[in-house]
Amino acid sequence: MANILSSGKIGKKHLSERGLVNLFIWPTLILLILVNIFPLFYSIFLSFNNYSVIGNKLPIWVGFQNFKDLLTNEQVWNYFAITGRYALLSVVLQTVLGFGLAMLIREKFKGSGIITTLILIPMMLSPVVVGLFWKLMFNPGYGIFNYLISWLGIPLTTDWLAKGDLALWAIVLVDVWMWTPFVMLLVLSGLSAIPEYLYEAAAIDRASSWFQFWHITLPQVAPLVLIAVLFRSIEAFKSFDLAMGLTGGGPGAATRLISIDIYTRAFLGQFKTGQASALAVIVLVVIIAISNLYITALNKAKES
Amino acid sequence: MKKLFYVVILLALLLTACKPTPVATDAPVATDAPPVTEPTVKQLTILWAEWDPANYLQEIGNLYEKETGIKVNVVQEPWGSFYDLMASQWAAKSDTYDMVVGDSQWTGQGATQGHYVNLTDFMKSNGIDQTVTEATLKYYGEYPVGSGTYWAYPTEGDAVGWAYRKDLFEDPAEMDAFKAKYGYELATPETWAELRDIAEFFTRPDNPKNGVKYGVGVYTQKDYDGMIMGYENVMFSWGADWFDPETFEVEGVVNSDKAVEALTFYRELYKFAPPGTSNAFYAEMNDAFISGQAAMIMNYFAFFPSLANPGVNPFAENTGFFAGPKGPDGQAFVALGGQGLSVLAYTSPERQQASMEFIKWFSQERIQKEWAKVGGYTCNKAVLASDEFLQNTPYNQAFSDSMQMVKDFWNIPVFGQMLEPVNRILHPYIVDGQGDPKALLDQLAVEQRQILVDNGILK
Amino acid sequence: MNTPKSKRPEVNYATRVDKVTFKSKLTRNLKAILTVIIAFIVLIPVFWMAATSLKSRADAVAAPPKVIFEPSMEGFIGLLTQRRQVTAAQGLEEIKQDPNLKWYDRVMLNRGQQIVGKSEYVGYLKNSAITAGISTILSVLFGLFSAYAFSRFKVAGKGDLLFFILSTRMLPPIVVTIPIFLLYRQLGLYDTTFGLIILYTVFNLSFSVWLMQGFIDEIPREYEEAALVDGYSRLQAFFKIVLPQTITGLAATTVFCLIFAWNEYAFAVMLTAQKARTAPPSIPSVLGTGGIEWAQIAAGAMGFLIPVAIVTFALRNYLLRGVTFGAVRR
Repeated sequence: MANILSSGKIGKKHLSERGLVNLFIWPTLILLILVNIFPLFYSIFLSFNNYSVIGNKLPIWVGFQNFKDLLTNEQVWNYFAITGRYALLSVVLQTVLGFGLAMLIREKFKGSGIITTLILIPMMLSPVVVGLFWKLMFNPGYGIFNYLISWLGIPLTTDWLAKGDLALWAIVLVDVWMWTPFVMLLVLSGLSAIPEYLYEAAAIDRASSWFQFWHITLPQVAPLVLIAVLFRSIEAFKSFDLAMGLTGGGPGAATRLISIDIYTRAFLGQFKTGQASALAVIVLVVIIAISNLYITALNKAKES
Repeated sequence: MKKLFYVVILLALLLTACKPTPVATDAPVATDAPPVTEPTVKQLTILWAEWDPANYLQEIGNLYEKETGIKVNVVQEPWGSFYDLMASQWAAKSDTYDMVVGDSQWTGQGATQGHYVNLTDFMKSNGIDQTVTEATLKYYGEYPVGSGTYWAYPTEGDAVGWAYRKDLFEDPAEMDAFKAKYGYELATPETWAELRDIAEFFTRPDNPKNGVKYGVGVYTQKDYDGMIMGYENVMFSWGADWFDPETFEVEGVVNSDKAVEALTFYRELYKFAPPGTSNAFYAEMNDAFISGQAAMIMNYFAFFPSLANPGVNPFAENTGFFAGPKGPDGQAFVALGGQGLSVLAYTSPERQQASMEFIKWFSQERIQKEWAKVGGYTCNKAVLASDEFLQNTPYNQAFSDSMQMVKDFWNIPVFGQMLEPVNRILHPYIVDGQGDPKALLDQLAVEQRQILVDNGILK
Repeated sequence: MNTPKSKRPEVNYATRVDKVTFKSKLTRNLKAILTVIIAFIVLIPVFWMAATSLKSRADAVAAPPKVIFEPSMEGFIGLLTQRRQVTAAQGLEEIKQDPNLKWYDRVMLNRGQQIVGKSEYVGYLKNSAITAGISTILSVLFGLFSAYAFSRFKVAGKGDLLFFILSTRMLPPIVVTIPIFLLYRQLGLYDTTFGLIILYTVFNLSFSVWLMQGFIDEIPREYEEAALVDGYSRLQAFFKIVLPQTITGLAATTVFCLIFAWNEYAFAVMLTAQKARTAPPSIPSVLGTGGIEWAQIAAGAMGFLIPVAIVTFALRNYLLRGVTFGAVRR
């Protein structure tokens, strides 16, 4: 039954349909191509060149040298590992917490509209300001973070951003604080679209609530959750503002996410534009690979 | 699976291969200067970072407009994006700005990559090079060092100095206790060793004196030049250096025994620093001082006016200033901050000429006096030495002393690459004690040497 | 859709999702209380930001942090004005004697600053509103139409096209800023609101298309089929049947696109100078000679938050109401 519409049953409309599809799709595609094609060409071209954007010299073709340099560099692998750990931790936490929060808020109560809007606030703040402000809050001297924890009876003088492992967790914490509402809102709108008769049928069958969750709720919201996870993962891999504001990649290079490394190479006095472009292309390939995994899962979820 | 996508990438590769220099096509922008229809330049645009000195410069600019009718517009860009913006302007050979008040380390890039106008003849023929102090001309204006070629007019002098809490240093009970413990009088430190003792003495998180829990605040920020600006005060004063100024050799220099001692010392100083200053630069230093956590802090002189301002710093009445202390051999160097005014090379000759006219006017002693009066840190010899200047603020004396001891790091075009390993390798040691200082500096020397070799500076 | 045909008549009622999931009143209240507590914890940093915006420079970094403090308007005044430092030597006391001073002049003079004019903040805010507003509308509209087409029709190379659309979001923006800067200068789009609008629209398009498609996929096709059989044209069916049902999706997409465009930082820094500059680049780096002006940053961030918060709040009923299948006439 899926394709009654497009299989041409309503024959007369067929031609105008093609026109409609074109009218609906091409403006978007053209806009995307126009704006994206030059930066993409530029980056891919420069990734094979030795070039500095401020160097006032023409690019020198070096073949795969940039890629070879980067991929044989242990530090770069390390930055990818850090980024991967960060992305995994924050996306998993956001998904679990966002889902839980959505299940909690799902039922309306008096004032739930305003409470939900309030929970969305972290997401509405500028990431750069959030990074800066959490740095203030994490400060062991005049920050509120340790101070509030000490109210609970646990006196803390930890400098969260000075120790490698803690610093990464601190960034994850802020990212989760900021973006859990994003997942929550998407799950919530997915939940509200589940037709109620599915639950009623289950209730008639005396299915447990666990069964209902597993066999009705989850499959029904899965596509939207996967879209949320897909976009959060892409963003996490490109994450820059937050970590830059909080730790600048430190201590040392302990929280140097791959985007920070690209920035360091592309700006900050280095201006190794060719190499930075090569690294960006590598990141692009990694993100494409990961996205493909998600999209396969997403298509599966849609089919079921 | 995603055939179309790969086709697009392939197409991109092919097209870029056929069209070898899409970048070069941007070059004509340079000659894209505005139509030369207007006979005279009516307005000059100066780019600087967003901070108070830029406001002062605007006031000087207003004065210029009053005297000549040429409007001066100082455009301020936030510090965080100042360098990025300038670089992108260079990349596009943009004529948006006539002049820039640029960091001293940019001079190498500006000179060798053609972004700055060579000011040597202009400054020499007008005697401007004689009006500013030697050190500022050397570090803000000259490239390569010792060549006598100038690219900037030293505008905003700056160096790392020290602020301290007088109420602590002059408290009789503290003075007695200090003497009993260390065997000499408590006063502003003459040497780094004394500074360390004082820092240790006032570090008492459990028993604070006037609320002060920690001895000293030092720079530790590691994404650009923050930590380096702090560490090099110690390192230079120990007689060590980043590189051999003659040969640019780093091996045996950046990791010399003296450097190892200096690094160990800087790490020890950080032990007396307020927690939470593990990624700290000028802003965090002032925060630590204003919040009453630290007995002393290092900072650029540019950030001292607010520490002397009771409306900002609750301890302003009790705040004193001193210049950097001496190393074990009696040498004292302080890290250079500050900026010079350069003429950008991508504007029309008329505008470049007009810019130089402005610099000529600005460099006069009369205007430099005005510049100092509104709050600028002049580099003019005569003004710096005048009693009027020295007594104008509580920190001007220390500033004047410091400017005699300034020293800078690399201003070669690859300085950014040289900074990166320093931050990555030394930061975990300084703030967390990770690693052995000798081994770390050896590693640094290897990596920095490689950068210099790769760029043809060393063989 | 896996809706069994026999169940279809059941569709006709409103959205009380909780009806069947047996919950006593007690657990419901417990959930409400838990939600409020979580909201409170989540908002602590926001409260702190609001408090900081009302602090003096010294109170903002007082150690230990000051929960109770004497409010000061210097953050907000600082945000909206341009000032110059005046030291005692430059005649601070004399300026203070001026009888024409307003209250805000006095606040800042007590900090040793003389107000000399208005700041650019309001102008930046206006730019932000125009840029983010228009680009959000554009990306949601484009996204809606494309998503509908992708969801309902056979499109040649659909998977590839969708992936291409997604891929435009994959390149780290740091790398893209320079080529776009060069491109924009060539096209004369540098420092124009128009250029920024285009860029933000494109930046959000991939998200908009994917998200809207997710929502439209959820809507059973049967409704449109029925409408088409009833003689509606395709466009009529789209506007009268599909559009009302995507309202939740539209609201969510609008909110997200608005938030992204509103807070975008990297492109705003690189592609605007003065004329078209939006607010985000100006907020985080407020730096006087005193270091970071925390109160001013907090004030700027709070002021910048309010417009988006209002839009979100206004859309809350659409965001949360769910799809009303009952509205469909069959």
